[in-house]
Amino acid sequence: MNTPLPVQPPASVQIRRKRTMRTTLEGITYLLPSLILFSIFLFYPMLRTMYLSVYLTDYQGNPVQFVGIENFVYLLKDVNFLQSVKATLLFVCYTVPTSVFLALCLALMANEKLKGIGLFRTCFSSTMGMSVAASSVIWMFMYNPSIGVINKVLSLFGISDVQWLLDPKIALVSVAISTIWMNTGFTFLILLGGLQNIDPSLYESARIAGVSYLYQLRKVTLPLLSPTLFFVTTVSLIHSFQTFGQIDILTKGGPMDATNVIVYSIYKDAFINYNFGSASAQAVILFFAILVVTFLQFKFGERKVHYQ
Amino acid sequence: MKKGIFTLFAFIFMILAACSNQSDEAATTPSENKEGKTEIVFWHAMSGDLETVLKEIVEEFNKSHSSIEVKPIFQGTYEEALTKFNTVAGTKDAPAIMQTFEVGTKYMIDSGKIQPVQKFIDEENYDIAQWEKNIVNYYTVNGKIYSMPFNSSTPVLIYNKDAFKEAGLDPEKPPMTYGELKEAAKKLTKKQGGQTTQYGFSILNYGWFFEEMLAVQGGLYVNHENGRKENATKAVFNGEEGLRVFDLIRDMYKEGTFYNVGQNWDDMRAAFQSKKIAMYLDSSAGVKTIIDNAPFEVGVSYLPVPDGVERQGVIIGGASLWMTKDISEKQQKAAWEFMKYLSTSEVQAKWHVKTGYFAINPAAYEEEIVKAEWEKYPQLKVTVDQLKQTKSIPATQGALISVFPESRQKVVKAMESLYQGVDPQEALNRAAAETDRALEIANKK
Amino acid sequence: MNVLRTFLLYALLITCSVVMLFPIVYAFLISFMSGAEVLQGHIWPQEFTTANYVAAFRKVPLLEYLLNSFIVSFLVMLGQLIVSSLAAFAFVFLNFKGRDVLFFLCIATMLIPWEATMIPNFLTVQKLGWLNSYLGLTVPFFALAFGIFLLRQHFKTIPLELYEAAQVSGVSHFRFFWNIVLPLSKTSLITLGIYSFLTTWNMYLWPLLVTNNDRVRTVQIGLKQMQTQEISTEWGVVMAAVIVVILPTLLLLFVGQKHLQKGLMQGAIK
Repeated sequence: MNTPLPVQPPASVQIRRKRTMRTTLEGITYLLPSLILFSIFLFYPMLRTMYLSVYLTDYQGNPVQFVGIENFVYLLKDVNFLQSVKATLLFVCYTVPTSVFLALCLALMANEKLKGIGLFRTCFSSTMGMSVAASSVIWMFMYNPSIGVINKVLSLFGISDVQWLLDPKIALVSVAISTIWMNTGFTFLILLGGLQNIDPSLYESARIAGVSYLYQLRKVTLPLLSPTLFFVTTVSLIHSFQTFGQIDILTKGGPMDATNVIVYSIYKDAFINYNFGSASAQAVILFFAILVVTFLQFKFGERKVHYQ
Repeated sequence: MKKGIFTLFAFIFMILAACSNQSDEAATTPSENKEGKTEIVFWHAMSGDLETVLKEIVEEFNKSHSSIEVKPIFQGTYEEALTKFNTVAGTKDAPAIMQTFEVGTKYMIDSGKIQPVQKFIDEENYDIAQWEKNIVNYYTVNGKIYSMPFNSSTPVLIYNKDAFKEAGLDPEKPPMTYGELKEAAKKLTKKQGGQTTQYGFSILNYGWFFEEMLAVQGGLYVNHENGRKENATKAVFNGEEGLRVFDLIRDMYKEGTFYNVGQNWDDMRAAFQSKKIAMYLDSSAGVKTIIDNAPFEVGVSYLPVPDGVERQGVIIGGASLWMTKDISEKQQKAAWEFMKYLSTSEVQAKWHVKTGYFAINPAAYEEEIVKAEWEKYPQLKVTVDQLKQTKSIPATQGALISVFPESRQKVVKAMESLYQGVDPQEALNRAAAETDRALEIANKK
Repeated sequence: MNVLRTFLLYALLITCSVVMLFPIVYAFLISFMSGAEVLQGHIWPQEFTTANYVAAFRKVPLLEYLLNSFIVSFLVMLGQLIVSSLAAFAFVFLNFKGRDVLFFLCIATMLIPWEATMIPNFLTVQKLGWLNSYLGLTVPFFALAFGIFLLRQHFKTIPLELYEAAQVSGVSHFRFFWNIVLPLSKTSLITLGIYSFLTTWNMYLWPLLVTNNDRVRTVQIGLKQMQTQEISTEWGVVMAAVIVVILPTLLLLFVGQKHLQKGLMQGAIK
């Protein structure tokens, strides 16, 4: 029996405090390298960005004139920026659910115990080894209306030329398709890892119980995979908000700003037009937008996650 | 208990230390290297074959100048190089020579980090009359030469001679006016079933071509004589001349004789090579490779002008070399030496022949290698002639604004909106208004 | 498992593989075409030529770049594995005040758009004197919220009883971390390792900014060096370089896969 010690409460508090101090210190020690690096290379620049967002800057990016929230006010009224917001949201909606779903299907297939499955696993994860730059160059070729392979194949079916990257109505979808392809490898690999971590004896019992594949998927596989799924969705979401490389190579934000997602617009403003103030304001808005989405994702998404 | 984690930290630091040893060796060297040569760091944006040629030229220079060593360093695209220059300008990591595209001219002057080469021209009485006068015109600002012109190009009309013959057109008589262009394009457009297999004409959605089509009619881009008299405050490209260009695109697109190739240079060339388009506008620097790769005969001609409008000529494109201010006197002298070397007729002849860029020094065209090359590629001469016939007026001098890259983005968007059925005047006005705002902000800085 | 199901499964697997691999194969084929052929839009080369590969190696010091890429990617991988696993361990097994706040702060770093950090970081690296060195190329990437997050998710699946048992028998935190947690998380560590290696291998803008010297430059810069704007790009050569550049990473993935399977087997036997 554990009896509380009412006799000398101050001493116990002291010990406990000492212990918490020690665990806190230890925890900090483990975190120290991360914290130092984060502060130097992420928090400091972000704070600087916030600072610049309320200034007009010169070409070197030095603040010259305090303008308060003018940068933000202008952005919120600017049709171009609103178009960027729309493009970004659409892009996220196109890519995240599709790539997670596709990768999940692939992972489920690749998780079957078949001969030569390792080869298929390598195939499916291969896009992870491709750089965005290299993949985009290849896709640009495939999308090319005059010499690209996609239109060549379509013309076999009598479908006339599609201007994949030049039609404002299709361009974003085309970029999304190539992005999904690029992301699948990585998402697949993580999900496969998650699937393989599931205790096989659980499947065994499901098999003995004679439940259908779909039932097993719903009741055993998916719940156990949920931490991994949660992770993959969150990361895809964040990455998707920050897509840059493929847009730079495939469309440069065009046609008619149809693919001018916020990150690209920031890049253009900061590195081509040298409007660091406006670029910083956009970066701040983007940061908070992702923050809200991620927060919601953690708040509502992680509830459904089943940790062992 | 914490020993383990500290061992780990110690290990990390060891790795870091190992890395830093490496860094000392690789660090940029000061103005003089071990052999006592003056070192000139030269940042450029020349990739692919251009870099190969540039390296050759630099090597020859280094061999013939025992006290100077030029180090060419590729820094990505013009934009990327400029971004980097921007962040290091004024520090020890800045280069001695920096290559910047023509539209960055005003920007470089405003940056205050550069040394106008006029100083050396005056000191040595260097004769700039030997340069191509249009090139001098472009790079003369407030009566001063700020940078040394280097790789220069202009736009030309490129067409498929075989397709001309097939359509019953004279391959030696390319269209010179909008009317002829439309007529030829109509004949060149081929349909098969409901599908167009060959379009007549195309222009890349790129601001440069619009600027040139404007200038060839004598139209200005911004006010105050293209920003050459004083800082420009307003875009004027949405006037009559600009509208003619946009109307042309809109009309031809509607007729189905114009093909939208997007904004990628390689896509446009691929469309031409695969016979998807029969005529298009390209940079004179790209002519040679097009001829080499095309499976048909290629013709080169002048930019077309609207009917009844007198031809004024073209603006020079490309890039120039800038000397930075914060380097030693000795380095500046050495950098100037290198710049002079680059503009000699022999070097320019080699540069012209191997890349297709113009020689800034027309004497180069008298060199044997150029003559031999022109024999082989008579089309190259057309590009030079077009430049020579250009009149010196503010329109062909080119606009001088610091927000050019941004303005170009707006023009591109306006061009793209034409294919969506937006009214040409409306599209132009919008681009002009957005350029105005960019100018206004820039003038506040 | 009946035959029909197996057959269908194989059919599906093969179809998916073809779709996934097609772009890579396409690039591979283009790398053997001559310039004119590429621009005329052929799919299968009429004549296989290795001229593009020769040109790619001649144009830029590709071998040197490959070596640099390898060193940089390896260092970043090592750094990220160490730093992230330490942090993730603290977030899962050490109970201390402010842990959740710190965790959210870490996650928040993922949300910072890199454009916002590029210029200040460049200035920081310049002040530290890390330009043109492996330090500047690697250290800024050692801490990775993504890695911490990935490992945290995995560490969370390790039964807490194991931790309690270790506590009771007086095993120090670090030994528990080193001898139990890390071996149990092999798969995630390998996944993260592959991920770090590949993303570092594929970086372009940052290496371009912080290096001025071929001795430390990486392959992606080499790729860009082959593409031009105003004159035609030789796509055959670019594709040849693309193939050369992705070959090591694909190989790594292949080997990593094997290891991944082995790690999983060990986990299963235990």
